[in-house]
Amino acid sequence: MNVPPLSCSHRFTITAALATVIYLAGCSADEKPEQVHSPQTGEAAASIQLSPHLPLEITVTKTPPTLESLQHDFDVFSWQSFIALNWPAKPDGSPDTDRTIGDGKGGPVVWQQWKESRDLFLPDGRKPPDWNQPNQLPDVCRHLEPSSAPANRMELTQVGKTPNLLDESEEPFQTGPLIDQNGQYTRYAILTNETMFNYVLDNELYSKKGQKAFDQDADFPSSNPKENKTGSIMLKAAWIKMGGQYDPDDFHTREALVYNNPDEQPGVEPACSLEQVGLVGFHIAHKTEDEPQWVWSTFEHVANAPTKDRDRKREAYNFFDPDCKDCDINEPPARPWNPGTPHSQPTQVERVTPITREAQALNKRFHAALEAAAPGSVWTNYELVSTQWPTDADSKTDPTGAPAPSFLANTTLETYIQGHTPQGSSNCMGCHGNAADTNGRASDFTYLLQRAR
Amino acid sequence: MSNEMSEEMKRFIGLSAVLTGFSKSILAPGIDPVDIKSDYLPFFRKKLAEEFKDSDLFDTLLSTFSDLSAKGLTDTQIGQQLLNNDNGDFVTACRKLIFMWYSGAWPTIISARDGQPESTVSTLISAKSYTQGLVWQVMQSHPMGSSNYRYGYWAKVPPELSAYTGHDNQTQGAKQ
Repeated sequence: MNVPPLSCSHRFTITAALATVIYLAGCSADEKPEQVHSPQTGEAAASIQLSPHLPLEITVTKTPPTLESLQHDFDVFSWQSFIALNWPAKPDGSPDTDRTIGDGKGGPVVWQQWKESRDLFLPDGRKPPDWNQPNQLPDVCRHLEPSSAPANRMELTQVGKTPNLLDESEEPFQTGPLIDQNGQYTRYAILTNETMFNYVLDNELYSKKGQKAFDQDADFPSSNPKENKTGSIMLKAAWIKMGGQYDPDDFHTREALVYNNPDEQPGVEPACSLEQVGLVGFHIAHKTEDEPQWVWSTFEHVANAPTKDRDRKREAYNFFDPDCKDCDINEPPARPWNPGTPHSQPTQVERVTPITREAQALNKRFHAALEAAAPGSVWTNYELVSTQWPTDADSKTDPTGAPAPSFLANTTLETYIQGHTPQGSSNCMGCHGNAADTNGRASDFTYLLQRAR
Repeated sequence: MSNEMSEEMKRFIGLSAVLTGFSKSILAPGIDPVDIKSDYLPFFRKKLAEEFKDSDLFDTLLSTFSDLSAKGLTDTQIGQQLLNNDNGDFVTACRKLIFMWYSGAWPTIISARDGQPESTVSTLISAKSYTQGLVWQVMQSHPMGSSNYRYGYWAKVPPELSAYTGHDNQTQGAKQ
């Protein structure tokens, strides 16, 4: 593009500097590979304590903190959260402190008794049952009783609740479904903790009518360690059906009602089956006092996918076929999308952004602690990808708080939007910062309120 | 990476702050997840060496800036002296530095010929530099196609310009 020449200027004001700026032309994305640095934190040598108590705020371990030391501190927060959430639960949903994570005795973990989005936003916008009340099931699922689960899979009867329901077969933001190596659709669930659930319930945000009456921006409660108050936490989980290429011993498994939801796509016939499913992806979003943009942690099963342009560490992956030489990488399946299809072409997935060396080192430390606490723990098969956090939470000009890292994706939840393209690649805060309710009021980093009817 | 910048980076940021009118804390935040400065410094040095056939020009710019700063001059005075330099390449390099920070692009000046006036073409350095252009900050807006603002921001008054530039007031002669 030809434009006027640079003007000569002898004053140094914003205006003068602007006068030297002409127009922009062309665009060549040229991203540097991520640099790796070793954290220098006093915490590095400390032993890891596995705790059932959810952390309510980040513990800063270095003064003055650096970007790297804070990333480490947030990553520790993520691991602590992951452990607390996956701690064995008592029937009331609280952590069973007489047990330890991964002790092999089975049963539900803490977060599995949280409410799924379909329990909060009912089809007719009516008030959902209270936190401790049973969930609602689609008609087609009603004939499936928890007791029909095999005897060695007793999670449901132990809980004494309606089984969890997996009714979503597309990744967030409608980017498409993810097909596993058995040719089956990956299933998803979005869950809220009691604090978040009750905020929606108490303010009647579960319906369009209630949101209209509320008529203000949502402001979910934050965790506050001084008051020992647990704030709002939102989870996204990705599951695959066990069997075929997937050995249930390698996964955290549960019994779930897998529901083909006709509301998702045209042509989907309602169907429901009780299946053993294994966890492959896990997001945690936690609103804390110092991080009003929430803290975004993401975990994956270690065998999900190889990293692009890196040597492969495994012979087999959950979402990658080493023998398929002409498979398109990270491409959503062709339409029509129908989770009822008996077999679909598996998705060939690669991780675009490598897990940093620091995060890998932290994963090893937590895996060692998990193994020491419960030899053979299935939780050593899960790894932290990274944590996105606001570096400038109080910024007046950037409501997302200048997140670090700038981009973050889980290969099972943001398969097709990995990378480093501004506004195109997955960026938790950048995307969720745009969330609004059904009236266009800001909904505090969650799109859930748009599900109200 | 430590928060501590190298001496060269400190001088580069100091020079850039004087020429752009932005605070050093905006150009190089203490906790800097984007870190565009680390892209710009080597890029700027390389371009100066290539275009001006002068591998010392970059160092000359920084040392001149350091000498002026050591005299206790205000930013305005430093800037005036930088752009009044007798060396034409020196002045053009300063102007290109301003262009780079504001647009995230690198300008190439095309001399007048065949009756056509002198003109400038520019090429974006990267997708990241596009979003980091200071021009968006001065507009109290956001890059086209990339916004961090919350839904509905367009109906609200943006923050004061000083929040974007990092200066409490717009007295550009104030020392940083």
